[in-house]
Amino acid sequence: MKHLIPEFERMKARFPAGFDSSLVLPCLHRIQADRGFVADEDIVGLCEYLKVPRIQVEEVLSYYTMLRREGIGKTHLQVCRNIACSMRGAEDVIEHACKRLGVKPGQTTADGKFTLSTVECLGSCGTAPVLMVNDAYHENMTLEKLDALIAGLS
Amino acid sequence: MPRLTIDGREIEAKAGQTVMQAARDHGIFIPYFCWHPNLSVPGNCRICVVGVAEKDGGEWVEIACNMPAAEGMVVFTASEKVKARRKATMEFITLNHPVDCGICDKAGECTLQDYHFEYNGAASVSRDAKTHATKHFDLSERIVLDNERCIQCTRCVRFTREISMSNGLGMLDRGDHSIVRPSPDGAFAKDAYSDNVIDLCPVGALLAKDFLHKARVWYLKATPSVCPGCERGCGVNLWHRKDEWKLRSPRQAARNEGIDRVTPIENPAVNGPWVCNKARDLPRLFGRVRATGPLFKGAPAPCEAAVLEARALIAEAKRPVAVVSSWASNEELAAFKAAFGSRFALVAKRDHEPQPGEVVQDDLLIRADKNPNAAGVRAVLGECGTEVPKDADLVLVWGEGFDFRAVPAGAKIVFLNAFLAPENGHADVFLPLSIQTERSGHYTNFAGVTSRFERCFALPPGVLHAEELFGSLVGNGRGA
Repeated sequence: MKHLIPEFERMKARFPAGFDSSLVLPCLHRIQADRGFVADEDIVGLCEYLKVPRIQVEEVLSYYTMLRREGIGKTHLQVCRNIACSMRGAEDVIEHACKRLGVKPGQTTADGKFTLSTVECLGSCGTAPVLMVNDAYHENMTLEKLDALIAGLS
Repeated sequence: MPRLTIDGREIEAKAGQTVMQAARDHGIFIPYFCWHPNLSVPGNCRICVVGVAEKDGGEWVEIACNMPAAEGMVVFTASEKVKARRKATMEFITLNHPVDCGICDKAGECTLQDYHFEYNGAASVSRDAKTHATKHFDLSERIVLDNERCIQCTRCVRFTREISMSNGLGMLDRGDHSIVRPSPDGAFAKDAYSDNVIDLCPVGALLAKDFLHKARVWYLKATPSVCPGCERGCGVNLWHRKDEWKLRSPRQAARNEGIDRVTPIENPAVNGPWVCNKARDLPRLFGRVRATGPLFKGAPAPCEAAVLEARALIAEAKRPVAVVSSWASNEELAAFKAAFGSRFALVAKRDHEPQPGEVVQDDLLIRADKNPNAAGVRAVLGECGTEVPKDADLVLVWGEGFDFRAVPAGAKIVFLNAFLAPENGHADVFLPLSIQTERSGHYTNFAGVTSRFERCFALPPGVLHAEELFGSLVGNGRGA
């Protein structure tokens, strides 16, 4: 995390003085983008850098499910399972993805290529069901489209 | 200064006060869980809802803890609307509570229990299974946490952030999975004020391991006392068995004469509403093995003969020195002065010194002098010496913590002490004294504030009160 401090310094300049604890969230995002997850040493380093008590960083990490404490596969498949997506077949998409990848939601394939997650509303109910591949939305998902998608990424 | 009406009573609030503060100042009760007069206002429990009259005759509800008192406001603390809202809030707060009052130490002094009787009283209307959480979680070596009983008021978390400043606790996760946890860096275990969270907890989630399943609180009575742990002299309640609830089994009889737990007495002039963990450990300090009979050079002696021998030694001495206890009460010091006048050269003793690992001094309460009445010694006896003069031929040692190597060779020793110690047997005459819990008296703290402690227990057989003893140590020879 130490190599990110110059970036953190630039972020700090955008906040009023004395609001360093507000930097916890953007710094954690940056750390996760860099490492793929937030490691214990990142927490210790961040507490030291921001002069924030350890427990405050732990609270933020446990509150937001998007912040991870462990690494995931190369490709992160996130399937929305809220009402609109469920009504348009999300459960089938999830079941099919599980079968294709041989994992349950929350697990990573043995070869480390895929992690499958189910998530709350992705805000794209008009094109339900929706699946996210890393940062990209794949809308109006069908089992055929999912097969093609996984084949293309394997 | 805004004037407002609460339940038909017109009151004047101080500038900047909330409705909750103004109501309390005027003796009007509004219930609360998460609010605390000495902590920040999170407004998360919603039980302090009150009604506020609207111009058109209607009424809206708002939490009293976070609502500024305003001019002309008309507030109702128990209107039908407020009662309905409060009942719904209680239903919500107890939604996942295990209602295991029968085996909970907090029962009898639990805010949740009291409010349930007062504001709801009905069985749960929920058809869903209760969520489960960790039970018997070791929060520290001193405190056990039951997360199912917790109502997430966050008083304990805020205490460690705003008062003790250890940042030892936090609220992890979200929603009905929220859970109080200690910081992984161990900050809570090092917090010298950690046990205050037990009193702060409005439910039975945080409990003292020392008191766990020891007694129902209604078996106990609280005797007001003063913590002798340092020269702050915090007000404490010493809780011990009521006479009508004494344990009858001989195996447990010793517990009738012991302190079960210690809680703070709020005193703004001395300790505010808090005490440090040392006060909570007073049962161990007072529970040490006692000296129960007089000794002549280690051999048991009858009490009368021992007193006469001590009196003779004092009468015969040419250059007697008294080493005075800074754990003595003002009354004992006055009795000493009345009995002996200027018979002794005086040395003031620190009976207790900081122990390894103990916080020596901080900005909140803890003071470096670990004795309760050094100021009282100065006030009653004047400035005393710090070392025993080399030419002394008799040393009267009063209390613990004296290094007997400081006694000049050949000088006689009269030793007054409450606890069993190897030094007791080295004295020419040893007399066993009472401890603080067996008498009443006053201590004067470092700031000059005098606080009274009351007697909890009867005097054990063979033990003497210093206050009464000193009078019989004056006189001539061994004759009566």
